[in-house]
Amino acid sequence: MNSMQGTGNGTPGAGKSVRVVLVDDHAIFRSGLKADLDPSIQVVGEAATVEQAIAVIAQERPDVVLLDVHLPGGLGGGGREVIAGSAALLSTTRFLALSVSDAAEDVVAVIRAGARGYVTKTISGADITDAVYRVAGGDAVFSPRLAGFVLDAFGTAPADIADDELDRLSARELEVMRLIARGYSYKEVAKELFISIKTVETHVSAVLRKLQLSSRHELTKWAAERRLL
Amino acid sequence: MTSAPERPPLVRRSDRIIAGVCSGLAVHLGLPVNTVRLVMVLASFAGGIGVVFYAWLWIMVPTAYESARRQGRRPASPIAPAVSRAPGRSDDGRGTAHAGAGAAAGGAGGPGDDRPAAEAAPPPWLRLQDMRYAKEILLGVALLLVAGILTAQLLGVDVPLGTLIPAAAVLGGASIAWMQLDETRRAGLVDKTKANQAGGWARLVAGLALVVAGVLVMVSGSGSWEQTWLALLASVAVLGGVVLVLLPWGLKFWRDLEAERAGRIRETERAEIAAHLHDSVLQTLALIQRRAANEHDVVRLARAQERELRSWLFDDPGKDAGQLSDRIKAVAAEVEDLLGNAVDVVSVGDTAVTEGHAALIHASREAMLNASRHGGGTVSVYLEVSGGRAEVFIKDRGPGFELRNVPEDRLGVRESIIGRMNRHGGSATIISTSDGTEVRLGFPAAQPEKVPPVQPDRVQPATREGRP
Repeated sequence: MNSMQGTGNGTPGAGKSVRVVLVDDHAIFRSGLKADLDPSIQVVGEAATVEQAIAVIAQERPDVVLLDVHLPGGLGGGGREVIAGSAALLSTTRFLALSVSDAAEDVVAVIRAGARGYVTKTISGADITDAVYRVAGGDAVFSPRLAGFVLDAFGTAPADIADDELDRLSARELEVMRLIARGYSYKEVAKELFISIKTVETHVSAVLRKLQLSSRHELTKWAAERRLL
Repeated sequence: MTSAPERPPLVRRSDRIIAGVCSGLAVHLGLPVNTVRLVMVLASFAGGIGVVFYAWLWIMVPTAYESARRQGRRPASPIAPAVSRAPGRSDDGRGTAHAGAGAAAGGAGGPGDDRPAAEAAPPPWLRLQDMRYAKEILLGVALLLVAGILTAQLLGVDVPLGTLIPAAAVLGGASIAWMQLDETRRAGLVDKTKANQAGGWARLVAGLALVVAGVLVMVSGSGSWEQTWLALLASVAVLGGVVLVLLPWGLKFWRDLEAERAGRIRETERAEIAAHLHDSVLQTLALIQRRAANEHDVVRLARAQERELRSWLFDDPGKDAGQLSDRIKAVAAEVEDLLGNAVDVVSVGDTAVTEGHAALIHASREAMLNASRHGGGTVSVYLEVSGGRAEVFIKDRGPGFELRNVPEDRLGVRESIIGRMNRHGGSATIISTSDGTEVRLGFPAAQPEKVPPVQPDRVQPATREGRP
């Protein structure tokens, strides 16, 4: 399942090793993921519950946290709670949400809490490695499904001047989201729109910011309505 | 009674006049229901035996629904019993109650013949519950009775009205309250809808008031007012004392009942989940173990199971399934099963499927088949519906192809995709590079009718971009 369309165009951080903490309640999945990750990625810690995760993250201060959306412990908030509990580190530590769930409310909730992207657990080793580097570099990682959620939430009509900037996607951002939803990698998006990959990344980050900050009424309503998807 | 085990169980049935006792008894004994009813009525005149017997059965015999629920608690799945063994089944007690009721029924109904559960269907004119006015008819009979009594009085017959009216009030009040109890047992207690609980309480209170008033009048008829007053006071005091003593027990009993009911609901849910997991996931896991050598099969099985489980977990069963996204997803699942490559569907917006969408769905299927067959990897499908216009994008990462290199006699792409879309007023574009192929299908919003003037407009994009 090529949930993450970054293959081949990632910018593996110039030999710099990335320190990662894995947070997932399934030990089998954690060990599988560890084996799948590129050797240049250094797994410095693992956690299985919300409390453990917050403690390990505070102690290790990793570059990237691979965070399962559904976690036991805490107040039942799962990944969202881990991010909230690590809010002080958000400027240095980036969170990439992992999930088997396609449910929009889970995904959108964890993104709005501060995660830099979302991929499904069936992702291949190369793709997840690429996604980790991308997130470590400050970019956002959108799977086709997340792009679909965004288009659903913000609507497919481009922004008017009158609209609050946060409540609508610009025409260009819409185009980028559409292509990602269609399964295009960032590189292919860039080629299709005759822009640079860097510009694509900028657009995606802008969309992520809107998704996180928008108080758009439709967005919350949509998330509530689309509980089942 | 020796053949009792072969009889259908004694339950109160839904084709009822009062509480379904007679019809249940009739089915149990294999007698015509009208015979049973007649016997019951006749027995009622023999010193009220019939009434007492009826009331006893009413209390002791469960309704068909209750009985079915009790049986239904045992799930069909072979693994489920381990999960759903309810603590402290009360089946044994219930079983003896059945036997007792059965014995009594056998005695009352006379020697039952061993006809199988022939549901002696009564002639239509006798099926009271089918008449919509059964209650009104009963009311009418009661009014006629009153009229008869009044007439008799007018004619000089001495009717002991002083006793008759309170007695009628007591009986009426009691039956109203009892019917309410039965009603509650059937609906309110079971699924707790509580929709008409207010009405239920009103009925209960009305019944109680009638009974109390009746008893009061009956008692006061025999003595002086003052005496009655004292007696009333005494009885209220006694009642208060009894309530005081019994209230904790009653509350505890009620709480236990609530807890037991909640537990039972949980058990049922667990049993259902267990049964589903058994039927789907465990079977698939067994299959995967047997096919472990064949990676392709394993992936296919896992995908299919994932899809099934996902739809079971997340899909809203109440949702209308006639949406375009559902159809596209179904087609994707079919292609996935057929060829084994994953087909990911992302959909934005949705619309109800119209007749015209059939072409779009078929073309999408063909494109997915091609993408899966020639692309050889995951196929990405994106459906967007906005303002009624539907677009489907099917993308693979295969080696790509040149449409003009496809032989004329190969109809897959040319006919099933492009030709089909054009014929139905849609458009189809195929972009193929060495990095993969994308098929873009567009279908306009449903229009009142296919108007020719619009045609050029709609065909144009396809002819313009029809070739890569």
